[in-house]
Amino acid sequence: MSSDQNRKELEDADDSIVAGRAADGDAAAFAVLVRRYTAMMRAYARRILPGTAEVDDVVQDAFITAWHRLPELEDPGKVKSWLMRITSRKAVDHLRASRPYSDIDRVEAPAPAQTAPARVVEARAGVAALGQALRELPDGQRECWVLREMGGYAYEEIADELDISLSTVRGLLARARKYIIVRMEQWR
Amino acid sequence: MSNEYDTHDLRGLGLEPEDLDGHTIEDLTDYLDAGRTPPDPSIDASPGCRLALDALERLRDLTPELLSADSAAEPEVEEAWVERILTGITLDARAGRRIPFSAPSPHADLGITEGAVRGLMRAAESAVPGILVGRCRLDGDVTEPGAPIRVCVEVSVPYGPPIPLLAERLRTEIATSLMTHTELNITGVDVIVQDVRRRSPPVEEGR
Repeated sequence: MSSDQNRKELEDADDSIVAGRAADGDAAAFAVLVRRYTAMMRAYARRILPGTAEVDDVVQDAFITAWHRLPELEDPGKVKSWLMRITSRKAVDHLRASRPYSDIDRVEAPAPAQTAPARVVEARAGVAALGQALRELPDGQRECWVLREMGGYAYEEIADELDISLSTVRGLLARARKYIIVRMEQWR
Repeated sequence: MSNEYDTHDLRGLGLEPEDLDGHTIEDLTDYLDAGRTPPDPSIDASPGCRLALDALERLRDLTPELLSADSAAEPEVEEAWVERILTGITLDARAGRRIPFSAPSPHADLGITEGAVRGLMRAAESAVPGILVGRCRLDGDVTEPGAPIRVCVEVSVPYGPPIPLLAERLRTEIATSLMTHTELNITGVDVIVQDVRRRSPPVEEGR
């Protein structure tokens, strides 16, 4: 079997086979995971850290950690959500490094200028509206919301990761949800 | 601040306790998270709460779509990126246990790593077109010469050929290979078919 053929077959195989093989030390299989999930991991990291040029560093870091820890992954079929988890950890590490104090509560930086609704009323209007609303959220609210809703974190896990209290997490999430819902209503 | 979209003017859908018959958006989120059980009549009977619950559910349904749309909007992954990551990983990280084999003289100490044995098991796939080996396991004390070892491989097979036939060919190939190249006392080769691949469309030119 030629290596091109082998690569193509690996590209078609499901996560449990590809990740299981990568866990056993097959770099070609790991390359398939990199091709398969780079876009998702970049997109997720970008929602946590908008406007930074370091998204690629975060994702590269996440992949390197993933390579070393793959043998610990009990069910290789769950590699996708596991990679998401590692990505958000790396993104949060990045946040911590760039924000020396636990000042998430006070980070109510002015939101970027709001886009007029008409500009996002397109085929995928709902998705576009949600994306725009997220961009407008203050950092703390956005981080909590993205970890919870995109990353599937429990409230306690968000509190641990961001080093804030559980009640702060709940408060930030409630505000984020209200803001997003109301903004999305305007686009309907 | 007279922006017409300023938060203070966002009054279309009421999300404050006075709009929600005393409930808060947090209560409603918790209620949704719990699958609306046990049913709470004070929420279910409140028109304000029902509107807010609908909005929260729509939001929840949209979220995976946002991640998909965001991912699709990311640039195509370049091979240079893949290379950059592969050069960052150390390939000898998966040696595993050391498996001794008998040396011709007492002054020599020979062995093979578990990782290399897994490599042999993966290589057996080339004898069975279309089959792909996933995770391989060696059960037993491989560090003890002659100890009984059972190996297990997870595989992906192409859609079409009879699966038992493919699995049997791979089993034979792995057993032969391990017998030829190692001194492991293999007592069994288990093959678990984990994935059946549909034929993928032919690769387009220029992609």
